[in-house]
Amino acid sequence: MAEENLLTDEFLRQLINVGEVDIVVGLSTHNHAKTVGTVIGAIQSGILKCFPRERVAIINADGGSQDGTTELVTNASIDDLRRNSKLYALRTLHSISVRYARLPDPSKALQTILAGADLLRAKTCVIISPDSTTIEPDWLQRLAKPAYYDNFDLVCPIYQRQKFEGALVRNLLYPMTRSIYGSRIREPYGSEFAISGRLGTDFLGGGIMNQDWSRMGPEISTTIFALTGKYRVCQSFLGAKPPSSRSSHDMVAAMRRTVGALFASLDGNFPFWSTISGSQPVPTVGTSIDVTQETARINRKRLLEMFSSGVAQLGPVLGAILSPSLLAELQRIAALGIDEFEYPADLWTRTVFEFAASYHKSTISRDHIIQALVPLYRGRSLTFITENRDGPGEEIETREESLCADFERLKPYLLEIWADGK
Amino acid sequence: MPPKREAGWYKNAVIYQVHVRTFFDSNGDGVGDFAGLAQRMDYLQELGVNAIWLMPFFPSPLRDDGYDISDYRSVHPSYGTLEDFKGFLSIAHERGLRVIIEMVLNHTSDQHPWFQESRSSRDNPKREWYVWSDSDTKYRGTRIIFLDTEMSNWAWDPISKSYYWHRFFSHQPDLNYDNPAVREEMWDVMKFWLELGVDGFRLDAVPYLIEREGTNCENLPETHAIIRELRQRVDEHFPGAMLLAEANQWPSDLRPYFGNGDEFHMAFHFPLMPRIFMGLRLEDRKPITEILQQTPEIPATCQWCLFLRNHDELTLEMVTDIERDYMYDIYARDKAMRLNLGIRRRLAPLLDNDRRRMELMNGMLMSLPGTPIIYYGDEIGMGDNIYLGDRNGVRTPMQWNGGWNGGFSNADPERLYSPLISNPVYGYQSVNVLSQKRTPHSLLSWMQHITATRRSTPVFGSGSIEFLYPANHRILAYVRQLGSETILVVNNLSSAAQSVELDLRRYKGNILIEMFGRNIFPRIGDLPYLLTMGPYQFFWFRLRKI
Amino acid sequence: MREIIVNELTQAFQQMAREIVHYLPRLIVMLVIALIGWVIAYLLKLVARSLLRLTKFSKLSENAGATQLLHQAALPSSTELVSRFVFWVAWIGFVLLGVSVLGIAGLQEYISRFFLFLPRLFVALVILFFGLVAASFFSRAALLAAVNANFRSSRMLSIAVRIIIMIFALSMVFEVLGVAEQTMLIAFASVFGAAMLGLAIAFGLGGQDLARKFLERKFGRQVKEEREDELSPL
Repeated sequence: MAEENLLTDEFLRQLINVGEVDIVVGLSTHNHAKTVGTVIGAIQSGILKCFPRERVAIINADGGSQDGTTELVTNASIDDLRRNSKLYALRTLHSISVRYARLPDPSKALQTILAGADLLRAKTCVIISPDSTTIEPDWLQRLAKPAYYDNFDLVCPIYQRQKFEGALVRNLLYPMTRSIYGSRIREPYGSEFAISGRLGTDFLGGGIMNQDWSRMGPEISTTIFALTGKYRVCQSFLGAKPPSSRSSHDMVAAMRRTVGALFASLDGNFPFWSTISGSQPVPTVGTSIDVTQETARINRKRLLEMFSSGVAQLGPVLGAILSPSLLAELQRIAALGIDEFEYPADLWTRTVFEFAASYHKSTISRDHIIQALVPLYRGRSLTFITENRDGPGEEIETREESLCADFERLKPYLLEIWADGK
Repeated sequence: MPPKREAGWYKNAVIYQVHVRTFFDSNGDGVGDFAGLAQRMDYLQELGVNAIWLMPFFPSPLRDDGYDISDYRSVHPSYGTLEDFKGFLSIAHERGLRVIIEMVLNHTSDQHPWFQESRSSRDNPKREWYVWSDSDTKYRGTRIIFLDTEMSNWAWDPISKSYYWHRFFSHQPDLNYDNPAVREEMWDVMKFWLELGVDGFRLDAVPYLIEREGTNCENLPETHAIIRELRQRVDEHFPGAMLLAEANQWPSDLRPYFGNGDEFHMAFHFPLMPRIFMGLRLEDRKPITEILQQTPEIPATCQWCLFLRNHDELTLEMVTDIERDYMYDIYARDKAMRLNLGIRRRLAPLLDNDRRRMELMNGMLMSLPGTPIIYYGDEIGMGDNIYLGDRNGVRTPMQWNGGWNGGFSNADPERLYSPLISNPVYGYQSVNVLSQKRTPHSLLSWMQHITATRRSTPVFGSGSIEFLYPANHRILAYVRQLGSETILVVNNLSSAAQSVELDLRRYKGNILIEMFGRNIFPRIGDLPYLLTMGPYQFFWFRLRKI
Repeated sequence: MREIIVNELTQAFQQMAREIVHYLPRLIVMLVIALIGWVIAYLLKLVARSLLRLTKFSKLSENAGATQLLHQAALPSSTELVSRFVFWVAWIGFVLLGVSVLGIAGLQEYISRFFLFLPRLFVALVILFFGLVAASFFSRAALLAAVNANFRSSRMLSIAVRIIIMIFALSMVFEVLGVAEQTMLIAFASVFGAAMLGLAIAFGLGGQDLARKFLERKFGRQVKEEREDELSPL
């Protein structure tokens, strides 16, 4: 089994001491000392409040922190030796930390946590991001309960977002995952989620994690693995979206990790998704939360410039990826002024699909294809912001649905260009 | 010839708790008696106990299983006569068994002549022997102990048209210890029994002797003064006699009952007991170690009394709400099992008749610091009957053999003071002394073995304790030490096999000798000592350096 | 006088006839060799074409940008080109072999030198090809990185990278061919420059925030923009 190499002697020894548990809470860190204290405190409260009788362990996979992150995590242990007199716990709570590498590797971190959960025979594994400073103790229950009590295999989060936030998720990841895999998961790339022991074991054992696309984006690959297998998936309302990790502001890295992994997943899963049309709703737990209307200052001109200059300067590259007609369309809208600019949903959908098809055929280096998408995404996010600037939550939701409908409607187009030789 | 009462004999005792009514009926009236008990002293001697604690046997209307006493200087006719008692006492002493009896100081039965007099009129000389009041508002805030039956600590007496104070059942009025006459009388009662030769008293309900307005009427300084006075008199006139406190309190509140070695010799460690059960089901030593961490040091001459079960419900007064809910859900799913914030079940049914768990629990009982008490019948794994009222389900006749009435009595079965346990699992046909004596690997045989091992060394009774805190929380490990003798105890609380690494560097160079089989285990070195343990297994290791 | 001329002429023609008779078999052999060589070369061309198709060589060359270059130069596709190259090299080889049979003095040396030259030519062509591939890849990478970092002169940067890599590749080609060895000096200088540029790109890619700030300070807009909220795309 692949996880044999993941377990250092020290980790194994700690796992032996923890013994069988019901729930594992996994945390992947790298120099998160500023935020992990809050997060671990909320996790601890959540365990004591929502699962006082269950056997729970916190497993921290750390990628070489130098700022005391691991000590903050292990201090969350509650046992008879530490005697935290302030906290009352029925049971011992183990909080263990393992250094899985010298440098952070999200895929390996997730593998380490799942391997630990597998050996501890945990019924449910909840992954929490160490950046989630908006986390509340109840989040643990909202994520774990459907998996622990109701036998769901994957519980994806739904966050309350600022209305402009998550443009990549709302314009690409969600509509595309929905149209390709037929499942209306709002946040296929969630930094918090819960998986059942069964799914975790299958995921580890299926060799999926050794594949490139899975290594690129472990979070989205878990979602896709669940969607393409016979697993029960649901989503659960959590709360305010945590502030993003530093890396997600690096657009290219974010694209690689999400869109790259998503595109790459299409190759191996073709027999599955090629037969699906339309999409099914996913059971949703908890009360829904509307987008927040708090304003955000966006430099729209800058977005337009990034789009236009991208289209202009990447002409030859885009020419190798897109069809001539679509490229011409892009060049036309790139010339528009800020007030007339619109990147229509239909055009965007075809853009994404043509990118996906080119990715599949490797017309140029796959990584370059992903990078080339970035300026085009900027243009689309400009339209997204413009459209949603003034509208209430329902209108935003309606447009979102309409975009998803476009993705679903144009899926046959993807299938058509998928098989063509270029 | 009574065994010499050397100082601190109680520290190395193994006590057997029994009610004379339940043990053996010699005259065929369906009720156990002293003559019958005397006939069974051999059994107890073989078991390996060296002290007996007798439940109340005094004359009583028996509305609280004898804790409602109507005559302190006699024996209830159902159990025999005072002569019978003396006969039993003599035989017990011959077998090397000391005898501890109950002394209910706090209250009497309302049928006691004292109360009859006290209530007859406000001018009666014994009026002030009890606590009377014209209203029921005094001592407000005092908790009610028998929650299932009592609504108040005051009861209305229609005869003297006033209220009397009772911390227990309403038919058990509290004596007024502010009255010196009461104190003298009770001392006289104790003296009576000590002169007969009893070796000690379990003083029932001691925290409640004195009431004061604005307090919770428990553990008051005046109460301690009374106890000190009693102790002083006992030491002076009957050296070696032992006083055991029954006080269901937190360890820190219990500590004062030891005084500076000038109050009680022993006290029950009530809070520990439910936590041992909890730790077993949680498969986590945390509840056990934490309560013992909070247990204060006691004077060198004093001792805790440890027990797993007794005649009362398994009390959950001294646990948090979360813990209580957990215990109810795990051990008393059926609400009929619950009584007065406790669980009225015997040891074997609580442990699902699991032999391994019973051994482990008794192992902890015998090795944790304190004097262990075995409740009659638990040594053979007797069951209970939750459908009998109150706590009578754990007070059924002793099961001696598979024959008539389980060998308890020749009377008609319908005449027995209580029906026998007769279901196929715990019934007398399958669980009885005779069949277990014939089986070398029965629970009874095992209990004999462990009792003997416990008594083979004074370390368990008198030694210090130091907990080890291995990272595997399912393992409860500690070191007992007395002088140069050191014993390592390791308990696996889990239902699954476990491995554990113990930090024994302090004892480097010692060889471990397992105390039951006497086989040697590897020597302790610099590295953590690795042990692998089967489900619910425990080890007692003697450390030897050669 | 007339007789001498006739005699001389007769002698000359007789000599020529003797020469022709002497060389004719060799000539015939040469022609036979050339013919057989043509057949073999043709077969090799077919084999080469199939092999290249099998290994998707055209894809590689497309990635390298070679296809575009050839298309612009109105040349046949790269697969075809290579196949033909194989054909010509093989056939010329056979022809030269045939020529060597003629036994013309002095030509032998040139022929053997030609055969010795062939492997180096092959290596040089391989280097050139991979140079094209690398130039195309890295120039595209630089272009994308620069565009995504909002670098104004992305195109220039991309072209610069391409040129430098090509120069480097060409200098290696020349060295292999043994032509103009002095260019090694130039090549070295180019390599040094390319390495510096490569570091700059790596710095920009690896430390994007820093690079962005640096570039914005140096080459970014002069106008002070309004501060904007950082909204996460995820």
